Amino acid sequence: MNLKKTIRLKTLLSTLMVSFLTITLLGILAQVSGEHATLGNRLLSLNHNLTQSANAVTSVVTYFRGLDTLGEVTILFLSIFGVGIGINRSEHLHTILHYDNALLKMGARVLFPVIILFGFYIIFHGHLSPGGGFQGGVVIASAFLLMFLAEGDAYALDHKILTLVEAFSGVGFVLLGLLGVLLGGLFLSNPLPLGTLGQLFSGGVLPIIYLFVGLKVAAEITVLIEYFIRTHDARDA
Amino acid sequence: MIGLVILGTFLMLIVVAYMVVSDEFLAGSVVYFMAFGLGSTVLYVIFSAPDVALTEAVIGAGVSGVVFLVSLLQTQTREDEG
Repeated sequence: MNLKKTIRLKTLLSTLMVSFLTITLLGILAQVSGEHATLGNRLLSLNHNLTQSANAVTSVVTYFRGLDTLGEVTILFLSIFGVGIGINRSEHLHTILHYDNALLKMGARVLFPVIILFGFYIIFHGHLSPGGGFQGGVVIASAFLLMFLAEGDAYALDHKILTLVEAFSGVGFVLLGLLGVLLGGLFLSNPLPLGTLGQLFSGGVLPIIYLFVGLKVAAEITVLIEYFIRTHDARDA
Repeated sequence: MIGLVILGTFLMLIVVAYMVVSDEFLAGSVVYFMAFGLGSTVLYVIFSAPDVALTEAVIGAGVSGVVFLVSLLQTQTREDEG
């Protein structure tokens, strides 16, 4: 009897809570209309004065929402960490999806530096043309995927260098944010000179942030691909 | 002309999406899923979102397909043993 009463009280309270939240949300939505609703236009008009980045998406990702990008990179790191814990590693690893083919090997070796160069091009031109840290980093990781598919077990990655790159870029991102606190007063503010719109060296800290993001994403996705593609030999188990 | 391209890509996406869920062979489903990623890349470019298109081209049509295929192969060998 008593239990039933508590449950009913809980239901009543949660109904009240939900209706209160709904009404508040509707009130906020009714206020946000007209010129305030076009947040995109407002960001675009701020973009030229604050960042001098030709690609407005980049200035949103690394400047207006720079803290969100830091969180995103952290989430990516945590998920790779989770995969590393979940997948059991042992000494006898073997690459699946690998076919020994001389032509494929040769083609992969020729294409590998070209894809890496393209990835770095996308990263460095993130504030000028479409793309940026995430896209370029993933392109670099796909070059390593190609090498895994073509070379198989013969292709070994240096995990020390990968870990160093990953840690260095993560710390560099946070240090850039703290540099913004020291020089500009706000986390991830833009203390460096902005330069002229359309130049490679322009936009202040934006290209540097994207370089760090790109290196971090490249290292993480490469490790993820290696975790997945190198597993126990099924015949050993 | 561009309208025809959009219409064609949408129709292709619908057909490929049906193939993904209807294929009996699971590895075939993964390959159709990668084709779906390529089709949506074209759509992103047409609707002027090249940033998203770059990500989708690598992730949707490359990395995720490989990850799916590897997981599929691993689980299948374990099912056969058990």
